[in-house]
Amino acid sequence: MSGAAVPPPDRLSSVSGGLHAAQDTGALTVLIVDERPEDRAALSHLVTAQGHRAVATAAGPAALQAFLREHPDLVLLDAASDAERTAEYLRVLSGDGFVPVVLLMPAAALAAPVDAGAWDRLGKPVQPEVLRAKLEGFARLRRLLHTMRLQRDALARHNQWLRREYQVAEAVFAEVMHSEALRSPHIRCLVSPQAVFNGDLVLAAHRPSGELQLMVGDFTGHGLSAAIGAIPVADIFHGMTAKGFPIPEIVAEINQKLLRILPRGLFLAAALVELDAASNTLSVWNGGMPDVLVTGGEREPVRARVASHSFPLGVVETAQLDCTTRTLQIGKGSRILLYTDGLTEAENGAGERFGAARLEACLGRGDDCLPTFERILSDLQDFRGPREQADDLTLVEVVADPAVNRHHTAAAATEAVQPRAAAAWRAAFSFGVDSLRAFDPVPSLMHFLLDAQRLHAHKQRIYMVLAELFTNAVEHGLLGLDSAIKAGPDGFSAYYREKERRLREATTGEIRVELEHAACATGGRLVIRVEDSGPGFDFAAALRMAEESHGANGRYFGRGIAAVRDLCAELSYHGRGNRAEAVYLWHSAQPGS
Amino acid sequence: MALSKSVSPDGKVVTIRVHGRFDFSTHQEFRDAYAGMSPAQRYVVDLAGTEYLDSAACGMLLVFRDSVGGNQADISIVNAAPEIRKTLSMLQFHKLFKIA
Repeated sequence: MSGAAVPPPDRLSSVSGGLHAAQDTGALTVLIVDERPEDRAALSHLVTAQGHRAVATAAGPAALQAFLREHPDLVLLDAASDAERTAEYLRVLSGDGFVPVVLLMPAAALAAPVDAGAWDRLGKPVQPEVLRAKLEGFARLRRLLHTMRLQRDALARHNQWLRREYQVAEAVFAEVMHSEALRSPHIRCLVSPQAVFNGDLVLAAHRPSGELQLMVGDFTGHGLSAAIGAIPVADIFHGMTAKGFPIPEIVAEINQKLLRILPRGLFLAAALVELDAASNTLSVWNGGMPDVLVTGGEREPVRARVASHSFPLGVVETAQLDCTTRTLQIGKGSRILLYTDGLTEAENGAGERFGAARLEACLGRGDDCLPTFERILSDLQDFRGPREQADDLTLVEVVADPAVNRHHTAAAATEAVQPRAAAAWRAAFSFGVDSLRAFDPVPSLMHFLLDAQRLHAHKQRIYMVLAELFTNAVEHGLLGLDSAIKAGPDGFSAYYREKERRLREATTGEIRVELEHAACATGGRLVIRVEDSGPGFDFAAALRMAEESHGANGRYFGRGIAAVRDLCAELSYHGRGNRAEAVYLWHSAQPGS
Repeated sequence: MALSKSVSPDGKVVTIRVHGRFDFSTHQEFRDAYAGMSPAQRYVVDLAGTEYLDSAACGMLLVFRDSVGGNQADISIVNAAPEIRKTLSMLQFHKLFKIA
């Protein structure tokens, strides 16, 4: 991945071994500095006789020149020849290198303190055995030092290599984990650096139909192993949410992936929520996380909670995993709180834990003006006291504000994709009740549409049309559900419970979807036909009713169908009212507005 | 020693006791406790002396379960403190182990 100049870590250990062999002869280059030629000659003879190389010179500039030219390993410097200054020069010249200077002095003077620039001293006249011992000692020391230097340099290179690897990894990690949707003013999110290192993750994205999907997870294990697992999770979450997949299918997909890639014993506790702020519906899947809490609003106590109802991800086969979500109706302005156990397991000096009870006690406290999010952090800090401690906490708060649905920042990135030149094609699908029980085909159909014609800029609008027609065909056409159920206080939940029940009990029925595309004068023309095997309805009467009430609150033409009519050039019903046909036009020059 | 192990006289029940903190630092010891053991019929993990259990320890329990028979494994987790019991049920481990 990186340049070839730096050795990978596994080659580090071989460095010292290679050096040792090369230096084994132990021969030193010894610079002899003495004013008296006869002493120079005698010392040179001794040094050479012991197998080293001798270079002899007078003191002063000649000595310094010889030093620079010969790169000696050791200097024998006569104390009489302006030694102090020479030693100091030599020390400066040797710089970072280790070149010991041994002072030669009359034996009687050896008792005096050592000069600053010198390493050692020898009495004159020099005894051959003493010199041998000294030179051997220095040769050993030099070898040791050389090995140390090589290892130090190798370590420094290795360190630099690692740092570069980390930088690359960090950049990749940041890119994959980045959830544009978290910037919404209705989401507060705190993930401490320590928590990231411990495998916490927070992801958020919008479905094409506008609902917010958010995931908070906590990997077992720490550091790199946890971070590696987070990358495919983020990829799946962002990719599937953008294509409109609902939480149960995302949960199944992530579980499948983690089972395949994670070693046994490593898993991901996670909570996924989908907030449809338009209908104030919250769906929660909780696999091994603390309770997902819902409060009535700022500084309000806990109103509802969703405890863990499933295995964490990556523990059991997907068939054994409960992927279903729990659905609740929440009030506008409700707060949804998600956190990892790092928060409740934070300890004070006495080893007590912050705990879920203290956390929940924070929520209902209206005794000062601190918002809930800050209240929790402030209480946690008070609890822990001033001790130095690495934060390991992840806390996310989502406000159920209708505007949550409208933040399409994540979608903006895909708007740049240009449509393919309009082509003529037709595709037909049919889905029996069995397949409808098993999965929601709308995201897959969207995926197909986007691939075929690259209509990314129209993704949101086409999804609205397709999803609305399809949902109507299933809920009203096939299952005969009455939208009036939704009007009750617990309306949406009751409606979806009833839908689940009827779908479970249905034995026959079929939905056919036909997508037909062709070029037209201004761009492309996409026809979406959705047909159900149900009894149909009196669409002519319904249409009249809708016209009279300007499309609002009609029994059959609800908000959804009104939107479809706005988005499409034509919307018509055929047969006995069981076949809807929508015509969506796109213009080649049309910006993704 | 954070861990102790005992085998019933008939060799059928193996009991592993974890003392203090049951976390990643116990990893090697825990593995050693069941590695190379002749297969018993029943395993008991006694958490009476365990004051704290982290998610890495839960992962180790899964690995343990796999290595002694997976779905056929008979493992009881006993004497867990209420806090630990709560963690285990949050992770739905009562579906994989007998928690008593």
